[in-house]
Amino acid sequence: MREMDSALDLQKELPEGRVLAVRGLTKDFTMHLVDGRVAHALKGVDLEVEQGEHVALAGPSGAGKSTLLRCVYRTYLTTSGAIGLRTSTGAVVDLATMPDWDVAMLRGREIGYVSQFLRAEPRRPVIEIVARAGIARGMERGEALDAAAVALRRVGIDEALWPVHATVLSGGQKQRVNIAAGTISPPRLLLLDEPVSALDPVNRVSVLDLIAGLREQGVAVLSVFHDLEAIEMLATRVVVVEGGRVAADGDPHEVLRANHGLAVAR
Amino acid sequence: MSLTLHERAQYAGAPLASPAPAPAWTLSVRGLGKIYGDTSEESIAGTGPEFGTAVSPNTGAIVAAWGVDLDVAPGEALGVIGESGSGKSTVLRCIAGDEPATAGEMLFTDHGGSTERLDQLSPTERRRMRISDISVVYQDPALGLTMDVSAGGNVADPLTAAGWRNFGRIRSRATELLQRTEVPIARMDHPVKAFSGGMKQRVQIAKSLANDPSLLLLDEPTTGLDASVAAGVLDLMRGLLEETNVAAIVVSHDFSVIEMLTTRVIVMQHGRVVEAGLTDQLLEDPQHPYSQQLVAAARG
Ligand SMILES: Nc1ncnc2c1ncn2[C@@H]1O[C@H](COP(=O)(O)OP(=O)(O)OP(=O)(O)O)[C@@H](O)[C@H]1O
Ligand SMILES: Nc1ncnc2c1ncn2[C@@H]1O[C@H](COP(=O)(O)OP(=O)(O)OP(=O)(O)O)[C@@H](O)[C@H]1O
Ligand SMILES: [Mg+2]
Ligand SMILES: [Mg+2]
Repeated sequence: MREMDSALDLQKELPEGRVLAVRGLTKDFTMHLVDGRVAHALKGVDLEVEQGEHVALAGPSGAGKSTLLRCVYRTYLTTSGAIGLRTSTGAVVDLATMPDWDVAMLRGREIGYVSQFLRAEPRRPVIEIVARAGIARGMERGEALDAAAVALRRVGIDEALWPVHATVLSGGQKQRVNIAAGTISPPRLLLLDEPVSALDPVNRVSVLDLIAGLREQGVAVLSVFHDLEAIEMLATRVVVVEGGRVAADGDPHEVLRANHGLAVAR
Repeated sequence: MSLTLHERAQYAGAPLASPAPAPAWTLSVRGLGKIYGDTSEESIAGTGPEFGTAVSPNTGAIVAAWGVDLDVAPGEALGVIGESGSGKSTVLRCIAGDEPATAGEMLFTDHGGSTERLDQLSPTERRRMRISDISVVYQDPALGLTMDVSAGGNVADPLTAAGWRNFGRIRSRATELLQRTEVPIARMDHPVKAFSGGMKQRVQIAKSLANDPSLLLLDEPTTGLDASVAAGVLDLMRGLLEETNVAAIVVSHDFSVIEMLTTRVIVMQHGRVVEAGLTDQLLEDPQHPYSQQLVAAARG
């Protein structure tokens, strides 16, 4: 029943040009090993991201920013509410209730997710990790290897590292490999959770440029950055999350001025 | 499994004939059950996770699996996790046809698109499918291989069973398969009992691929091997799963194996599926108390 209702609503919530519409999203963690304690991480979040828009989430540590991104990617299961996505074919789907298999397919093709850490797959060369992201996007193997080379150059990963297993890379190198994989071709929706936290200033600037370029190509970006500078450089809108709720939503400069200190408190 | 728990509740008992949503599953299983002992209805009550046992208090029968639903698509691997005795191998044996299920429907579609109800086939037809369409790799190589026979002979076995007669062609196919699984060809004519554990698994994998199956069932394929040997076998399987369009079901206690090979998983406890989800979701946000316990134990 619920699926029907939400599908109908979501069509309206996702007019053409809008990529993501989160509605009434709640997330509870029930910890059965800790006497069934329940943590209410998200308490009814509404949020939308248009094509070519970069929405930056801000707010204090523990506010629920990462949880929100993970619900959208379905690494976390939504407790209630809807996560509407308008796919590149124009179909409207609810990521909160969509069958697992369909989510798996959709992730590879349309959603890039770059988290703070690359949990590198064991015994997999750097170039392979990035090329596999391309294969999931529908590229042929040869094409994916070429695209992987381009993506790795773009984030400044030296060719000497391409055949190396990613597990042995430095934190910053891993993070750049992660970014190369997430952006091997422009995804429909890009989720970024502190993607430059381990980078030195030079690499940081080039990755931020890369992200700015993707937005200009029409990618919808939903991000968490812990530095104000990155938000000011990239975001077209800022959403402040506090205690699992949206506390403010609007123009980056206005929101950051009104909430100064809070937005980047960690 | 493609459904979350609340969707599963909603779909419970839906007949297979209902329009399947997205993919053309290689295998769709609904309500699979296997009881050892008294197979009457009476044996079911009082078993399962809520009773903490698979043994019927009424009849003493072992309800090794009950109400198991799963789907697996071409080119995808589904993981099965759960403690010892939870029914994982039983489910694989019933799918493979190594033993008959007590209940349930199993719809199988091969590479060519032809569809069979496995649960309605005669034993002869089941044996034919086991040779040509469905392969198993066991933890214990002795279950999958004839130890006194050479590696080449073992790999040739399913080929001759499938009707291959030309010695030269059989030999070259066996060579190709052993090369692919990195078994030294120089040892092709040695009996497999002389092989190391890892090498036996490679021969078993070569044999399982002989007739280009649509469905591959892997039951703890690396358990019991030394870490470095297991890693090599695991890399081999990862490569095979990625390169071919085979559908696979992987049973393992080892979460690193599940993480590396599968996109979705089911969790079994006392013969029942207690949770199904995307592999990363199951590891990061397990829902069922038992899944939380398994993940916590694995994370150490
Ligand atoms: N897998 C989980 N299990 C239980 N609780 C969780 C889990 N993930 C997040 N939480 C809880 O949800 C709340 C929100 O956490 P979240 O990681 O989303 O915060 P955040 O805004 O990203 O913070 P930070 O800026 O520190 O990264 C916290 O109370 C956290 O403990
Ligand atoms: N032939 C049999 N006769 C009677 N009981 C059996 C038989 N085979 C399995 N069982 C029982 O069925 C239950 C499920 O066994 P199964 O081998 O499927 O477990 P499993 O999950 O594969 O465990 P493990 O991780 O130890 O391999 C167990 O209680 C087992 O003892
Ligand atoms: Mg966070
Ligand atoms: Mg077993």
